[in-house]
Amino acid sequence: MRFDLTVLVPHLGFLAEGALLTALVCGLALVGGVILGMVVAIARTSSNRVVNRIAAAYVDLFRNIPFIVQLFFFYYGLPEIGIFIDAFTTGVVALSIAGGAYASDAIRAGILAIDTGILEAAEVSGLSRRTIFRRIVLPIALRTSVRPLGSVLINMILTSSVLSTITLNELTGQAKIVASDTFRPFEVYFVLLVVYAALTYLVSLGIALLHRRLNRDLSEPVG
Amino acid sequence: MRYTEFTPYDLVLLAQGLGVTVALFLGTSLIGLAVGTLWGIVRYYRVPGLTQIITFVAELLKNSPVLVQLFLVFFGFPAFFHLDLGPVGAAVITLSANTAAFVYVIAVSAIESIGRDQIEAARVFGLSRWQVLRHVIAPQAAAFSIGPLTALLVNQLQVTSLISVIGVMDLSKIGATLNLRTLKPFVVWSVVGLLYYLAAKLVATLGARIERRLRAHTAFRGL
Repeated sequence: MRFDLTVLVPHLGFLAEGALLTALVCGLALVGGVILGMVVAIARTSSNRVVNRIAAAYVDLFRNIPFIVQLFFFYYGLPEIGIFIDAFTTGVVALSIAGGAYASDAIRAGILAIDTGILEAAEVSGLSRRTIFRRIVLPIALRTSVRPLGSVLINMILTSSVLSTITLNELTGQAKIVASDTFRPFEVYFVLLVVYAALTYLVSLGIALLHRRLNRDLSEPVG
Repeated sequence: MRYTEFTPYDLVLLAQGLGVTVALFLGTSLIGLAVGTLWGIVRYYRVPGLTQIITFVAELLKNSPVLVQLFLVFFGFPAFFHLDLGPVGAAVITLSANTAAFVYVIAVSAIESIGRDQIEAARVFGLSRWQVLRHVIAPQAAAFSIGPLTALLVNQLQVTSLISVIGVMDLSKIGATLNLRTLKPFVVWSVVGLLYYLAAKLVATLGARIERRLRAHTAFRGL
């Protein structure tokens, strides 16, 4: 069979719809994941033993169980206890929870990397613990963990393809439909592979730029 | 008549699923390790042309969803190359190639972690490039790469769950089957998740043990 990409041309708009949905899901899950990651990172760096344990257990559990199992747990399990939400919401929630486990590790590393002198100075200045966290710890930690958070986002984009298994027609789901419409699965999935690779490459470029921009005062050449 | 209750036979099913998952995980990990290391050696010898191709393919495999790769091999290859692999064949090819791509990156950084001066000294003593690789680089690179490799394998164990989507009767697929029959998603997916979790912990523990042994002679013994 000839490798013919022109068969895909009529379906480009359809695929773009899927790509848009993928972007939307990943964007929402990124926000959810980072917020959850921040809370968990604070819990994991707290001196309270119990809070620390619970946070560590959450990270350990969600990092060591396959995403598809977590997803099915939520998708089939939630209606059982009377929570009826659609595939989109389930996908965003599951992706946020799984991403939050990874994000918390990145943010925790950022928090632990903060110079204790800064924290002591803040305490001596009489700032409350809340203010120290909100105004000093989090901004510094988030700034230094832009790069690891970026790889969390890239992983999220790749993982979001699994959402096609719960009838959410994002990029992979739409491509599945196109493949069965055109009977050209090889071309469709090959293009999809390249599109995902290009997408994640662009995202990683953007992250590198953001990292440089946010940390510009740290990378100034000395002297 | 519907069998909605759990039966003792379900345990056998779960064990079967776990067996398929573990077997595919071990098999594809071994193939992936061998291929990835081979790619790393090709790069070490700076084979012109081949090195660039390998790097490109590895990047493509690393930056696209495993699910799409699975679809490409499972649906695309039979249509395009008239090569019917079956679900297990497609799973083996995809997972091996995916593992190889990540192993390649680890192998490259492990080889590059060894100081140039060591290699130059060995070359001056008249060792061939192969002898340098075998006796100078390999032992140190192995110790260096065992940590990242363990993390990779824990991740790849979870990735194997995706093959349930193309119909391999692995642990996730057994979970889906039991879920459909008993309609008790919380119990089923918790048990499946727990089995994956325990398997992942086992891999991590084994990795840590091997790392301790490989690093035994470089460990700081105290003054």
